[in-house]
Amino acid sequence: MKSRLSHPFVQALLILAVAYLLFRFGIAYIPPLLGVKSAPVPHTVLLQYMLTVAVGVLLYVSATEDRWRAFKAPIQRVLVDPSQRLYRLALLVTVPLLAGFITYRQVRPSVEAPPNLRSIHPAPPSTITFRGKTMTLAGLENPLRKEGNLRDHVEEGRRVYYQNCVACHGDQLNGKGHFAHGFNPPPADFTDNGTIPQLTESFVFWRIAKGGRGLPKEGTPWNSAMPAWEDFLTEREIWAVIIFLYDQTGWTPRTWDTAEGGAR
Amino acid sequence: MSARLAGTAALLVALAAAPAAGQQAPAGKAIYEKWCAGCHGSDGKGDGPAASTMLPRPRDFTRALFKVRTTSSGSVPTDADLRHVIDDGMPGSAMPGWTDVLSESDRDALVQYIKTFSTAFQQKPDVVAFSKAPPENAAAIEDGRRTYEKLECFKCHGRAARGDGPSASTQEDDSHFPIRPANLEENWRFRGGGSVEDIYRRLRTGLDGTPMPSFNDMLAAKVVTDEQLWHVAQYVRSLSPKEPPEPPEVIRARLVEGRLPTSPDDSAWNVAERAYIPLVGQVIIKPRWFSPAVDAVWVQALHNGRDLAIRLVWDDRSRSPDPRWSEWQRRVTEVMGPKEDSAAAPAAATSGTSGSDAAPPAPADRASPAGATPAVPALGDAFAVQFPREIPQGMERPYFLMGDARNPVYLWYWRSDAPAAVEATARGLANITPIPGPSTLRSQAVFDRGQWRLVLTRPLAAPGGGDRLTLVQGEAIPIAFFAWDGSNGESGTKGAVSAWYHVYLDEPTPKTVYTTPIATAALTAGFGILVVARAQRREKQGGSKGD
Repeated sequence: MKSRLSHPFVQALLILAVAYLLFRFGIAYIPPLLGVKSAPVPHTVLLQYMLTVAVGVLLYVSATEDRWRAFKAPIQRVLVDPSQRLYRLALLVTVPLLAGFITYRQVRPSVEAPPNLRSIHPAPPSTITFRGKTMTLAGLENPLRKEGNLRDHVEEGRRVYYQNCVACHGDQLNGKGHFAHGFNPPPADFTDNGTIPQLTESFVFWRIAKGGRGLPKEGTPWNSAMPAWEDFLTEREIWAVIIFLYDQTGWTPRTWDTAEGGAR
Repeated sequence: MSARLAGTAALLVALAAAPAAGQQAPAGKAIYEKWCAGCHGSDGKGDGPAASTMLPRPRDFTRALFKVRTTSSGSVPTDADLRHVIDDGMPGSAMPGWTDVLSESDRDALVQYIKTFSTAFQQKPDVVAFSKAPPENAAAIEDGRRTYEKLECFKCHGRAARGDGPSASTQEDDSHFPIRPANLEENWRFRGGGSVEDIYRRLRTGLDGTPMPSFNDMLAAKVVTDEQLWHVAQYVRSLSPKEPPEPPEVIRARLVEGRLPTSPDDSAWNVAERAYIPLVGQVIIKPRWFSPAVDAVWVQALHNGRDLAIRLVWDDRSRSPDPRWSEWQRRVTEVMGPKEDSAAAPAAATSGTSGSDAAPPAPADRASPAGATPAVPALGDAFAVQFPREIPQGMERPYFLMGDARNPVYLWYWRSDAPAAVEATARGLANITPIPGPSTLRSQAVFDRGQWRLVLTRPLAAPGGGDRLTLVQGEAIPIAFFAWDGSNGESGTKGAVSAWYHVYLDEPTPKTVYTTPIATAALTAGFGILVVARAQRREKQGGSKGD
């Protein structure tokens, strides 16, 4: 057994197999065991990784003359040795069949949806009209943060959120409400650090007030199920629900740089 | 002796329970207020701000009636039962599982806090002794089907088990909210879980607070055996697919020779792939609808190069209009009816993109919910298949909710109370106008024990005018679906909707699909033989090892 493992050909095969398993399954499933989020490696990237490993393996087996000879020996034997005739025949049949099969998979007509490219955070307009009132978004702050008791605004926002937003964005604010599976694009996941922590409260106000229909074209407004909440909510209710979103998730909104240039 | 033991045990229980409840409740309260009160209410009465948008309503903890338990009917659940529901949620309802959000100790604290809402928890839970599942086979499932009949499960759940039994329309829960018997063909929506064991446990314990009884009494009276209850569970499980269905992005219409099946029950449909498309409430435009009766449609499509036929199968507990369901319709409208009639909407003085949508309801939407008469309007069932008017070249397409004035959509619109499906143009949700002139759209529908099966057929070519979509092979064509159940008070904007999907009409397979792989295989084989031959020749010539 030990002598087999020390054979460079077996070593090469083993390294390739272990690398494949690691890239294909390890990257996706091992980090979650340690509490780190991960995802499967795309096929093109997998191919690239495997090519790199293959080059490394070739370098290793050809590093010394002896090892190179030992590595080639089994290949040479399969090609010429009379005792390996059956094995040789089997390879000559299976490898072309495999090549044919892979080609078939490439050329067969595939049924695919056209790509749906979409800008998640398109540039906001400079001003919006909210129920007849013009609002300038640049520099706009959430007025409720400067008045009254923040806890009251959170509770008001909670009421607004649960009466209106829960069906899609969910009571965990993760975009997995009980109607979320019916829509594409899926409702925003506010617990994701790519959503509200990247945005100013004025941007969030614009998105809530104007909804999916108010997106510019790069945001694919024709697919979005986000209602234009100006038809349902008052300005104060929208500012309150924004306070609730940040409070409930623990994120802080992105702030405007002050005129002096310092971030607060 | 035994009295002293009991006394000691009681003291021990009291010692263990009292400080635990006393200490954990405050921690549980903060978590409850943050994550649970929005639906279940601060006082645990199931009356949080979200409650009125949900049917079934969130659990009222003060009644201490819990659906999913391992205890006998009427008994409080065990702590583990409460934890189980917090962990895994209630499938098919708005209650999610909380393992990703709350730590184990938080969830335990919640269990203790929920128990403070009712004095019923001073009693000990009466745990039911469950048996092990007997082997599952065809005979067991057949026995389960017979037992399902014998126990009269069909009275609520229906002969075909789609939740459409003769008593289905009159059911209410203990708080007098209308409640639908489960559609047993959708086990992924069973509140207590969809496995055979889950179903068996619900049969033994009942779903307290709902009309679903426990069959323990029947078991005690020897009307039914424990094994038969297992068989019922195995039978019920067999009615659903092995795995919960997932919607595809593309619905494939296979190319077939000869005539297309025009009848919904033609066996020719067996060759067509079935696509599961989930439908959800229209909660985007006023008046919204949070309680759709139709939760999915199964779509199949076939074409023969001349015509396209689409078969739509959806479960609907009633063939509307049906006077037996008018009381249900009245009650659902009462508890779920929108308090936001479009007339009461604030003026939509908005930016250009959405301002153009504020069109008045079309005359086609003949049953306006605004009618304040106490009698419920007789509403038919309806279904719409939506296409763009032409296949989009770029990514842009009409708004998925039936387009708008600027970019309308093309519909195949069917109603149970109309003689045939019509082609229509929609300019916004419920703003549907039939396309005038002769139509080449054909429809055939059957209603069968809680299920509509509808086939719509149209030639690929569209005669004159830009109103109708010309169907093209080999391209992904946007498609979307809408369903209304009249007996659920649905019409107009109150219905079930889907996102845009695609339908793809297969092209005849080009010959190169077969010749290219054969050529590749032959070339590879040739190359292999060459390598072997060369190696052998060198071996013979050299004798010594070359490299």
